[in-house]
Amino acid sequence: MISGGSSTNFWLNFFVNNRLFSGTVIILIYLIVISIFGFIIADHIKKIYLGQRTILTGFSEKAIYFIEKISGVDENESHTFKGYFFSLLFFNLMAGVFTLFFLLIQTNYFPLPGQRGFSFSLAINTISSFLTNTNLQNYSSPQRLSYYELTIVIIGLMFLSAGTGFAASMAFIRGIIKDDGKLGNFFHDFLVAIFELILPLSLLATVIFLFIGIPETTSSFLYIHPFFSKSVIGIPIGPVASLEGIKNIGTNGGGFYGANAGYPFENPNWISNIVEVVSFTIIPMGSIFALGRVLESRNFGRMVFGVIMSLFMLSAFFTFFGEYAGLPTMSNLGLFYTGNFLGKEIALGISQTSIFASGATMTSTGATNSALNAFTPAGILGVLFPMLLNDPLGGVGTGILNIFTYVIFTIFLVALMVGKLPELFSLKISSKEIKYSTYSLITHPLLIVVPLGITLLIPALMSSFVSPRPDQITELLYEFSSAAANNGSAMGGFQVNQAFFNILEAGIMLTGRFLVMGFQLMIAQSFAFKKPKVTYGRSVNVGSFWFGFMLFFTMILLGLLSFFPVLALGPLLAWGKDFNLLIGVIH
Amino acid sequence: MKINIEPVIIALKNFRPDRLIRNPVMFVTEIALIMSIYLLIFSGQYGLPVSPRYIYFYTAVIILLFLTVFFSNIAESLSEGKSKAITDSLKKIRQKTIAHVIEGSTIRDVPSEELRTGMIVLVNKNEFVPNDGEIIEGSGYFNESSITGESKPMMKVVGDSVTGSTVLTTDSVKIRITADPGETFLDKMIALVGNSVREKTPNEIALNVMLSGLTLIFLIITASIFSLADFLGINLNLFILIVLLICLIPTTIGALLPALGIAAINKVSQFNIIAKSGRAVENAGDIDTIILDKTGTITIGDRQAINFYPVPGIDRSEFLRYCYLSSAEDVTKEGISIVKLCESSGLDTEKFGGLSGEFIPFTSDTKYSGVKIDDVVILKGAMKSISEKIGRNDSFIEGISAEISSKGGTAMTLCKNDQFLGVIELNDVIKPWIRERIETMKNMNIKTIMCTGDNEITAQYIARESGIEEFVANVKPEDKFREVEKEKDKQRMVAMVGDGTNDAPALARADVGLAMNSGTQAAKDAANMIDLDNDPAKLMDVIFLGKQILITRGSLTTFSLANDVAKYFVIIPAMFYLIPQLGFVNIMGFTDPLLAITSALIFNTFIIPALIPMALKGVKFKASGADELLKRNIILYGAGGIIFPFICIGIIYFLLAGVGVTW
Repeated sequence: MISGGSSTNFWLNFFVNNRLFSGTVIILIYLIVISIFGFIIADHIKKIYLGQRTILTGFSEKAIYFIEKISGVDENESHTFKGYFFSLLFFNLMAGVFTLFFLLIQTNYFPLPGQRGFSFSLAINTISSFLTNTNLQNYSSPQRLSYYELTIVIIGLMFLSAGTGFAASMAFIRGIIKDDGKLGNFFHDFLVAIFELILPLSLLATVIFLFIGIPETTSSFLYIHPFFSKSVIGIPIGPVASLEGIKNIGTNGGGFYGANAGYPFENPNWISNIVEVVSFTIIPMGSIFALGRVLESRNFGRMVFGVIMSLFMLSAFFTFFGEYAGLPTMSNLGLFYTGNFLGKEIALGISQTSIFASGATMTSTGATNSALNAFTPAGILGVLFPMLLNDPLGGVGTGILNIFTYVIFTIFLVALMVGKLPELFSLKISSKEIKYSTYSLITHPLLIVVPLGITLLIPALMSSFVSPRPDQITELLYEFSSAAANNGSAMGGFQVNQAFFNILEAGIMLTGRFLVMGFQLMIAQSFAFKKPKVTYGRSVNVGSFWFGFMLFFTMILLGLLSFFPVLALGPLLAWGKDFNLLIGVIH
Repeated sequence: MKINIEPVIIALKNFRPDRLIRNPVMFVTEIALIMSIYLLIFSGQYGLPVSPRYIYFYTAVIILLFLTVFFSNIAESLSEGKSKAITDSLKKIRQKTIAHVIEGSTIRDVPSEELRTGMIVLVNKNEFVPNDGEIIEGSGYFNESSITGESKPMMKVVGDSVTGSTVLTTDSVKIRITADPGETFLDKMIALVGNSVREKTPNEIALNVMLSGLTLIFLIITASIFSLADFLGINLNLFILIVLLICLIPTTIGALLPALGIAAINKVSQFNIIAKSGRAVENAGDIDTIILDKTGTITIGDRQAINFYPVPGIDRSEFLRYCYLSSAEDVTKEGISIVKLCESSGLDTEKFGGLSGEFIPFTSDTKYSGVKIDDVVILKGAMKSISEKIGRNDSFIEGISAEISSKGGTAMTLCKNDQFLGVIELNDVIKPWIRERIETMKNMNIKTIMCTGDNEITAQYIARESGIEEFVANVKPEDKFREVEKEKDKQRMVAMVGDGTNDAPALARADVGLAMNSGTQAAKDAANMIDLDNDPAKLMDVIFLGKQILITRGSLTTFSLANDVAKYFVIIPAMFYLIPQLGFVNIMGFTDPLLAITSALIFNTFIIPALIPMALKGVKFKASGADELLKRNIILYGAGGIIFPFICIGIIYFLLAGVGVTW
């Protein structure tokens, strides 16, 4: 305890002694900071969406021109959904096949000393994971991959998946604002996304990380000689900062170290923590702000921001309060208990851990700076629920696609309720758009619940679980939600590197990414022949409070309705168990 | 009271799975019903508890599932019954007669059903018009009461369209047939009202997709509970799973959706309007701008003489005399009203009995009419045309005319040879209730544009009096199309009324075009709705109706989805009552799980018949802007939809427990 006396010390004491209050303030500061940075980048993103010149165009133009020249891409060739989505799929498939074979051949035929080869199912899982911007790692990075492999496979796919996501959102926006029936040229969009947004921002982030003290080197181990021991400990180091840069900017997740940002070399202090949170929210947040500007409806942008922020706060504070309250079991035992610190970095505390965890699942980053497995049932619920809603803030680009499917669904209900035909910016919403938005909304829960139901019935698979039973349901739900939402956050708790999980998750990730993206681009295609006019609001005001209210509750309701039974028997039951101090009834 | 059991029989017949599959929600319910009957019979084999209390429970579930499907079917058959009654009465109107077909110089009698488009038919006095057609020779009064309900015969002249099965009460006319058998106006109407041609609107299709998607999710989720429970070592009763499924899938809106669609068409028919598609009615709800004619819609339509203003120096009784002379043989409504006013002003008309001159009829070129008695020419008409004719101006006449115009009246100037006599004030009366209607439209953010051939000042006066903000004066019929275009360019949905051939392009361009039945065939073809009563102001009723249909559908969907929250919080704790740690989810504090589950299912079943009247009548709503309505309906059907079932299920539970049901 810091002794009081002077007025400065009074406030210091106040913040130290009122941890609930100071934690809340810290979370709010984080939210304000990420909003500010999102707001700053929004103008740049808007220009990219509208195809205007940005400050980087001078440089990127030349690079794009050069690449397009040698690869024979004609940027003026604009495609409809079919052409665009086919290019997207083909490009991703080629990259996937190439990296898959590269990974298999490298690790199995040219292994480094001590390196274990990738099995086929693990390779499939890894490639699908990084290709879909999920970045679930069913392996531990530094031990399994050489830097050469890491750079080509992991970092390469991280750029590729982020670029693909942003290109899809460019096509989506184009479908809305243009009326020529075309979505654009995927390769060109992809290159623009890389050179004007993702690459510059990740370079910037990498430089900042270097200054903070995150290592970037080609040597493989840092050898330390602890004074109490004669042995030498080798800590793996390598190109951590550069991986960290694209990992966060590209909302990829994963990490150099198995422990992710919980490891001091990935996240040394509170400054790096806040920089990381900002860097993985900057593009999704900026895209939301850009949305209002691109569609010339600031109100709509504000409404979406408001809804997303409400969900973000719900998630962050649920996690924070859950973790702060900790396990009643412990307090009931009469222990001095200051919240659940298990698996958390003490330097960051509960609040900065909570905001990091919830930000990582609000976006599709899925990075973590703590051991999620050690979270309380209430805490994990706060981290889990954004993934059940398919990451409301979304990944690079995909956030916009996801929010639009919810908006279309809501607008249909709302318009009928006020006796209007559904439309968005005077784009008529026909049964076609409702169809694809419903498809993409139901695909997500189905991708989670069906594998969950099947896996639970196979005792052989459940045998590797160590936690008590309701927690196993939570862990499994978390795993599949993360895969379906292309998030990559992992709670662990069981042996994931099994052929069954590797292949099943790969399937979930690929479907959750490309099928859903296909449905969403179909919506864009059917909008592509219509031109929006936002100047005159003849229908429901989509920027209004009540619309936002309805959107918020539709999202919550769809999530709640779809997952309530699973949540009841997973985290809620575990929560109930903690309160009742009754352990073992269900075992 | 005679109880009509026909809907019940139809409802029972519609249990056939091949019919029910059109409605996925109800289809799933029926499958669940069949499954539960099967489970009851073979309950032993599936390890289900068979103590009496469980058998009661199973029976209750089966009965309630049966009722759910039955109520849905009865809602549909009730509204179908209504539309059938309408078509039956229409079929009775359809008359089979003998038509006199003119072929060159001969007349051949053929049965009316053999008439083809283009045939020329002679219709004599007191004969039925054999088929739809257009008058090409002659004129006469037609009694259309069988279709419009209007008992006063209508005068029709060359170019007017006539409808089959109406009666010619005077003279005889030649008509050219414009419809083949089976495509006549009445046939179309019967086909439309009967659901044989009823196609789903895009909105209904979209809603169906959404509900099917939700049903699929809930199916999978319910199935997943089975494996969750199995994993936790809980022996789940399949009946409870079935109940959960039925409570979760949107049965309320799913059950009422078919009835809602038919009810919409029925309501339109009750207004004596024929909508060519359900889509047109929904479009009507979405209208932003309505373009109305002044004459006949906002005003009663007949300009009546209401005052005389002789120029100074002319004796009033003398002026009245000239007025009378000018109009004695004028059969226009204005002319008749002038004669009437002269009579009521005390002019002794007897002494003009023998006086007769040569009547000069009104033409659109001259814009005046009058009479020529010997070498005296008395003319009446618009001031401008009279001034041009006699080449003079008069400050008194101009002053009076301007004053009359500013009140929305028409000043009719009277002159004798080249001398001004005075002004007759004609005025058209604003319909008494129109102001209120326009106000309602304004509250719903709908802009009304008045179109009139009158001058600016008159238009302004009428617009102000009736509360209209925007008007277009000096309109020629073709200008209406431009007006529609102008609004469409602003991305607004436009509705308009028309009856002339000139109106046809505008009617076709507008999102909702309402043609008068008395209008030309071209107008009726271009429009997507036809009003049988020829009341243009009905457009506003149609808009209200269209809105109501959409609101009913949207509100019931929201209500139905919101209901699921309560059902979850009742059934999930009851389902897992063996796990005390989950007790905190049991926010209702029910202690008897079977009773709680039954209560939820009872609510789920009986909310359907409770909402049938609302579905058929449409929800009530206050005319207001979209945002205001949204707020109100979110609170009413969204928040209400969450809270209401909690209360109802609670009441049902305690009532059941109170009467001694203990399962």
